[in-house]
Amino acid sequence: MTDYKTAAEELRDNPGQWKAYESPGSCVILAGPGSGKTKALTIKMARMLAEDVQRPSGIACITYSTECARELQKRLGKLGIAEGSNVFIGTVHSFSLKHIVSPFAWLSDLGLPREFTVASVSDQERIFTESLKATIGDENPWNYRGRFERYRRTYLDRESKEFTSVDSEIAGLVADYEKRLIAESVVDFDSMILWGLQLIERHEWVRKAIKARFPILVVDEYQDLGLTLHRMVLALCQKAGVRLVAVGDPDQSIYGFAGSMPKLLKELAKAEWVEPVSLKFNYRCGRRIVAASLTALGEEREYESKVKQQGTINFYECPEGIAQQATFIIEEIIPAVLKQVPGLVVGKIAVLYGDRNDGSVIAAAAEAAKIKYVRIDAGAAYRRTPLTRWLEDCAAWCVSGWKSQEPPLSGLIKKWLSFNRAAKGDVDRAALRQKLVTFLFAHREPTLLLREWLRDFYKSCLGSTLKDEPAMRDEAEAFKGLVQATAETKDLAEFNIATFSGQGGSPEHLNLITLHSAKGLEFEVVVMMGMDQGRIPRWDASSPAAISEARRLFYVGLTRAKQQIHMTFSGFTEDKYGRRHKKGPSIFLTELQQKFAEDVQT
Amino acid sequence: MRLSRIQITNFRNFKSLDVALSEHAVIVGENKIGKSNLVYALRLLLDPTLPDSARQLREEDFWDGLERPLSGDNEIRIALEITDFEDNPKLLAVLAEHLVAVEPMTARLTYVLRPIQTLEGPPVKDSDFEFFIFGGESEENIVSYELRRRLPMDVFPALRDAEGDLANWRRSPLRPLLEKAAGAVDKAALEEIAQRVSDASDEIAAVPEIAALNIAVTDRLNEMVGGSHAVNVTLGLTPSDADRLIRALRLFIDSGKRGISEASLGSANLIYLALKALELRQLVEEGNRDHTFLAIEEPEAHLHPHLQRLVYRDFLHTRQQPEAEQGAEEAAEVETNRTTFLTTHSPHIVSVTPLRSLVLLRKAEDRLSTEAASTAEVELDEKDVADLERYLDVTRGEIVFSRAVLLVEGDAECFVVPILAKLIGHDLDELGISVCSVSGTNFAPYIKLLGDEGLGIPFAVITDYDPTDDGGSLGVNRLTALLELITGEEPDFEDEAALLGAAEAMGIFLNEYTFEVDFFRCGRHKSLCNTLSELTTNGAAKKRAAAWKEDPNSLDPDQMLEDIDAIAKGRFAQRLASRLKGDACPKYIRDAVTFLAEKCV
Repeated sequence: MTDYKTAAEELRDNPGQWKAYESPGSCVILAGPGSGKTKALTIKMARMLAEDVQRPSGIACITYSTECARELQKRLGKLGIAEGSNVFIGTVHSFSLKHIVSPFAWLSDLGLPREFTVASVSDQERIFTESLKATIGDENPWNYRGRFERYRRTYLDRESKEFTSVDSEIAGLVADYEKRLIAESVVDFDSMILWGLQLIERHEWVRKAIKARFPILVVDEYQDLGLTLHRMVLALCQKAGVRLVAVGDPDQSIYGFAGSMPKLLKELAKAEWVEPVSLKFNYRCGRRIVAASLTALGEEREYESKVKQQGTINFYECPEGIAQQATFIIEEIIPAVLKQVPGLVVGKIAVLYGDRNDGSVIAAAAEAAKIKYVRIDAGAAYRRTPLTRWLEDCAAWCVSGWKSQEPPLSGLIKKWLSFNRAAKGDVDRAALRQKLVTFLFAHREPTLLLREWLRDFYKSCLGSTLKDEPAMRDEAEAFKGLVQATAETKDLAEFNIATFSGQGGSPEHLNLITLHSAKGLEFEVVVMMGMDQGRIPRWDASSPAAISEARRLFYVGLTRAKQQIHMTFSGFTEDKYGRRHKKGPSIFLTELQQKFAEDVQT
Repeated sequence: MRLSRIQITNFRNFKSLDVALSEHAVIVGENKIGKSNLVYALRLLLDPTLPDSARQLREEDFWDGLERPLSGDNEIRIALEITDFEDNPKLLAVLAEHLVAVEPMTARLTYVLRPIQTLEGPPVKDSDFEFFIFGGESEENIVSYELRRRLPMDVFPALRDAEGDLANWRRSPLRPLLEKAAGAVDKAALEEIAQRVSDASDEIAAVPEIAALNIAVTDRLNEMVGGSHAVNVTLGLTPSDADRLIRALRLFIDSGKRGISEASLGSANLIYLALKALELRQLVEEGNRDHTFLAIEEPEAHLHPHLQRLVYRDFLHTRQQPEAEQGAEEAAEVETNRTTFLTTHSPHIVSVTPLRSLVLLRKAEDRLSTEAASTAEVELDEKDVADLERYLDVTRGEIVFSRAVLLVEGDAECFVVPILAKLIGHDLDELGISVCSVSGTNFAPYIKLLGDEGLGIPFAVITDYDPTDDGGSLGVNRLTALLELITGEEPDFEDEAALLGAAEAMGIFLNEYTFEVDFFRCGRHKSLCNTLSELTTNGAAKKRAAAWKEDPNSLDPDQMLEDIDAIAKGRFAQRLASRLKGDACPKYIRDAVTFLAEKCV
């Protein structure tokens, strides 16, 4: 554990970080890639917790995803800050659910009862289908789902004219769907924050209660959090006087489909009640990579690389298509860089790509070459949820954690008890604790097949929790998905618990990640696969806004690399009917190639 | 912040208690009625020093009226509701997740002890039960130790040892206060003082006789155990180390002449309370807690009546009456941080209790359980409250301790009615009935206080007919209004007789003229006329009295009242009371006394 005052000395030589650290009121930190924003943010948070708030009040730290929250928890833990009654670290969804909707919704006119549960994915689909049938007709849900979701996240005020009139058909569907959620006493992912926003905007007492508990709000990855959070922030800060420390990078805003826009953060940084701070140093990427990324972004930024190495960028044409790219990456690029860079392990290399289809191609190539990998995309063998994440940790404990205390058993138990909300008395909780510990101690065997481990786990303790806990309905589905993936004919059939535990990232596993999921991560070597026009930007991106977002996505990919970037392309894409579309390499790649090509290999 | 409601189910004396509270609570009730159990119920939720082993209640803690063996669905439940915290961000931060209502903002904490859910069959041993504490309405919302630490309850038990605690540095309430003061002292100045103390100490030790004693002790030690085991002793005043100097400070009384151990029990208790109050304030100010619930059992212990009144007036009234020497704002802020609970038998404490803070415990109709009544929500305006508080103060809270109350118009009835009652066979003292003069005819606030919405003490009213010149009666109008107040409905009766009958059923009794006239006419005209002629100095009045005594039918009521007024009604009644014999009694008084006596059996 480091004292924040000692840690803060590392910020002193960076004018931006120091200004943020010293900022007394609300501030917005605009932080480019590799700028040490998480370091600055966590140290600042430690300081505010020690100097600016007094128990029982505290700080809520909100971020984009469970992954980001885990990272923040880890970093804050090193400064001696753990989640507790006065510290919240988590996603905007969990914040809204835990601290706004659960305690207050039933006291308002929203109509949600005191006891409700989180709808599972299949419940949501069923309700959506029923709603579609009732309002629009017997249509294919997939033709409406995307529009429905975008509409819900764009027009937030259900009583506004805008909501009812822009697309009255979809508006009717949204209204009906949300009514059904309430009637079934469930919330879904979007309503967790939509209703949280409503409660904050409509009721002064809710704002007062939140401010009393969390007079300071810290938001990380602001550019990804969308309009709902933006309006929550405005209501809490401007109407209730909550202090804001927001961090983000408009250049890395890549979730337009989820309602986020770079302009929200840009506007916020200009508001008179905040102090804007810019972090200009890049501690991650070589000078050449910084220059290339800015070329790709097409914007003027005063970023300065603080890394000694220049960094390299290579382009490879694979004229036979995406499968050839994948084979080339696995058989040529990766072995070559492993040989070339001393001390490099595959865990420090990432292959980035557009979507799950490309993910399956590269995964197949890795499997053929018997390279272990971690795959993060929608086509992954199982969903990453709090439960499956925890299972990975349990597996890690069974493999070697019981010797190294990493992950600590106490953390696993704490999480386990949090899954079992119905167990209140000491006796029940002690029994649960005992069941888990007994199971874990009896299964300390790295070569145990994942399938068997999960089966025993389910029998000895998971089963009753997943069956009986209403709040675990969605997790029960996620668990089922994981078990199915370990069936003898499926992807994880050969997995033992050691391989499974490595799915959280390990030195022996190659990282296969979509460009979207790579945000916030960094690797020594980044391979960007499928850099063809039609993939990036996608064939259906026509508006200037869509092209800009694709450009930002490309920029995010480039800025993940510390030392080397390798890009592969074929000059064409293939659609699902096998038709080739010869649009050439990605325009973004072409722009770079002209300035930075060192080597084009065929 | 205040505790607005306590609900207790199946705990010790309480089968089903539900009581509203205002700012503080002064809990009154006979022995063994459950005053301490009520405080203990609060401790289960609020006292951070209570170990979980004590929170794990046992089979015998279930209400006695429950059938044994207990069944699987018996549970002990204790719920507290808290309001008036929304403007204090710290309290809001702790309580917002436990809300049960928004207007007014109300949080609830609930303790539950029940058989373990997975238990097969009925509970048979203590470990078959489990307890948990939750907030709001969801049992899953478990309340942590943190909350008890932020809003703790401190208890001064009935058998506190104020003297012992004051003498013991570790337990002394002076310790935290001195330690805080020590932290702020200028170190250099302290070193200098320590040096002077050390010099003075050395000087005394150097006085030949003292020095010789020191040597004698040292030598004796050496003889006993030899040089290598002997303890090095020196005589001195106090440790000369600057840090320890402040801890060595002691309280003295009587201008430093005597140590605290020589103080009387009363003084020790007084000092103890003052130091504790300062300590509690300091804890809130330093942010260690946000509010204190202070429960003092038998607060009257060892305190002289006047001291009781002074001390607890201070403890209970501070919110409206900030201490003069502090800035009003500061005082208000500090004092709202404390809620005081007193369990007492002392009329002196009841007499200084804010009207809305009274809580009365008594046996419920089933005779097996205890119920509570409180004045927190009685509908009274500020003027009524002030009047009633003054009345309680003057009468030392007598009616609160009564089993029934007879409300009368003035002092005359107060003097005479108890004697008359005794003569007709009802000893009011023995029955626990108080006669309460409302000094006029404004019975309404007293009825509200005593009625079902208030203390729930049986009462009767006797009031005068008061005929008017136009043949009407002020008394009938008064009675109609009171009847409406009690029943909540507008009286609608065929005739006056029906009205009077309905009123009597509710305990309101009307005479035929006024007290003195009805008294005269009940057959006691002789003693009345004798008293009149004894006390009056007016010759004409003496003559009139003699004439009325001879021929009661010649009475001129208005003239007689005039003559009595000239003497002063109270003085007249006092003298009259001393003459009474026989069992003649005005009917309305007889009826009222019998009405109440039946309620007290």
